[in-house]
Amino acid sequence: MMKKRSRSRNSFSYRLIIAALVFFAVLCVIPFWYVMVTSFSDPQLVKEGQFRILPTGYSLQAYEMLFRDQRFFSGLGITVFRTVVGTSLSVLVQTAMAYALAKRFLPGQALLTRLVVFTLLFNGGIIPNYLVIQKLHLLDTVWALILPMGFNPWNVMLLISFFAALPASLEESAKIDGANDLLIYSRIAIPLSLPAVATILLFIAVRHWNELMDGIIYIHASNLKPMQVYLVELVMRTQMSSMIEPTEQNITSVSMQTAVIFASCLPIIILYPFLQKYFVTGIMVGAVKG
Amino acid sequence: MSQLTQRSNRFLTRIYRNRYLYLLLFPGLVFMLVFRYLPMGGLVIAFKDYMLRLGIWGSPWVGLKHFRFIFTQNLDFPNLLRNTLSINILKLLFYFPAPIVLALMINEVQSLRLKRTIQTAVYLPHFVSWVVFGTIVMQFLSPRTGLVNAVIQAFGGTPVYFMQESEYFWGIVVISEIWKSAGWGTIMYLSALTAINQELYEAARIDGANRLQCTLHISLPGISDTIVVLLLLQIGQMMEVGFEQIYVLCKPIVYDVGDVISTYIYRVGIGNAQFSMTAAVGLFQSVVGLILIATANGVCKKLFDKRLW
Repeated sequence: MMKKRSRSRNSFSYRLIIAALVFFAVLCVIPFWYVMVTSFSDPQLVKEGQFRILPTGYSLQAYEMLFRDQRFFSGLGITVFRTVVGTSLSVLVQTAMAYALAKRFLPGQALLTRLVVFTLLFNGGIIPNYLVIQKLHLLDTVWALILPMGFNPWNVMLLISFFAALPASLEESAKIDGANDLLIYSRIAIPLSLPAVATILLFIAVRHWNELMDGIIYIHASNLKPMQVYLVELVMRTQMSSMIEPTEQNITSVSMQTAVIFASCLPIIILYPFLQKYFVTGIMVGAVKG
Repeated sequence: MSQLTQRSNRFLTRIYRNRYLYLLLFPGLVFMLVFRYLPMGGLVIAFKDYMLRLGIWGSPWVGLKHFRFIFTQNLDFPNLLRNTLSINILKLLFYFPAPIVLALMINEVQSLRLKRTIQTAVYLPHFVSWVVFGTIVMQFLSPRTGLVNAVIQAFGGTPVYFMQESEYFWGIVVISEIWKSAGWGTIMYLSALTAINQELYEAARIDGANRLQCTLHISLPGISDTIVVLLLLQIGQMMEVGFEQIYVLCKPIVYDVGDVISTYIYRVGIGNAQFSMTAAVGLFQSVVGLILIATANGVCKKLFDKRLW
């Protein structure tokens, strides 16, 4: 057995696979390294367009420019708010709904599950969504970024399959002891499915942090624009001005863009190693077979 | 009569007994109805001339006027349809197999630490936004400061204006999608691969099967269910191209190849307030998507006895 294994480890095909995988893995990390190095480099040297492994002429100039911009901080504030409030709301709403829909004996359960599945297959689209937000007087409020994400059929289906797999005996014995469904949901079902709930929480939080489209469509007041909108507007301003006159000042904004990107990715990069353990393999199987 | 009241009483008792479950269900139901089903009702404006002053119900009915306009007079529409379908077909051909191949390769890695490291690296781009990733792609491709053009120049070529020439756009969209999403896409395949009985591999090895044969005859059939399900979903998305990727990457200069249905609806519908006409475009998109996924599901059920629902 051992012999066989070591032979296959040294085989040409195995080395080829490893080489290809390492190549792709490096390719996936390069953007992050590039952004970090560029944002800490001297803007004057960056515009000469040399990619270095280490910062060329270490400089905080890009960050000084960025931190003078009030819009960056308001964007960051909006994004943090929508992520914290929106994620809490969505997790509560979706776990509660999924817990109830996982009970096959519940009258109406089959119909309601079908209603959830149908929203996976068909949606009203951009314009009707916009009109609903408008009619609810949510345009230009941070709630336009939070409330529509309260329900998500993918997450609900994934959670249903998790709650359905919980052993029924625990809940039954709790019921005999006189616990009601609210208590069983909060004290038994949620703690037992913590990995699934944590995964959903992570998905929703990342989605809130990164979402661009709702900010573009629903928000016009500049003090309410989330960070992703701030970034995309910064990039587009740069492109416009560099088309009119390629001056030095806007070339240095490559540095400023990378500074915004690095600042906006920092929370994800810091949290990533801790969150990684939640992407346990197998967590998605239920979603697929749902 | 008394039997009927008895039965309805029993039904009400069952409802009452589960009142807390309905309470848990209620907020989710409200969010679903308001933000998913209410907009579906709002699609009626595709058959009306929507005017803000008159509201959705007060605006006059116009029948299929907007659909007639889209299919006969709207000069942008054929182009939108071509771009949307082309980008999706290219993604189906080149992006869709990428996570499968990648997962099969990762599955071969014998060192657990190396495997973990590779997984950590390839998942990472999924966790940043398209604004971030698209901006990085554009900086890499920049003619003055970009890495790619630095390499081209090092080999004696002249800088290429990648983002400003139509011929490169679809390629950039597909490659950047692979770069950003193929790694995360492996997660479902990898979990399906762990479910395969390891004894199958042992038996095959004893019979003298090599690595490729094991992959083709054990691993690949083992994840075929997952492949079918994800293929169905991909086909159902045939009419939709992710808004954010295109919004970030597509500049007005390459609208001829880059403008897709979602970016058009946003720009013309909300930007120029042509709500009814673009709602009709959106309805067309959603209905075709629904037909596609239902058909794909039916075909798969018939041919492979595998289906989505």
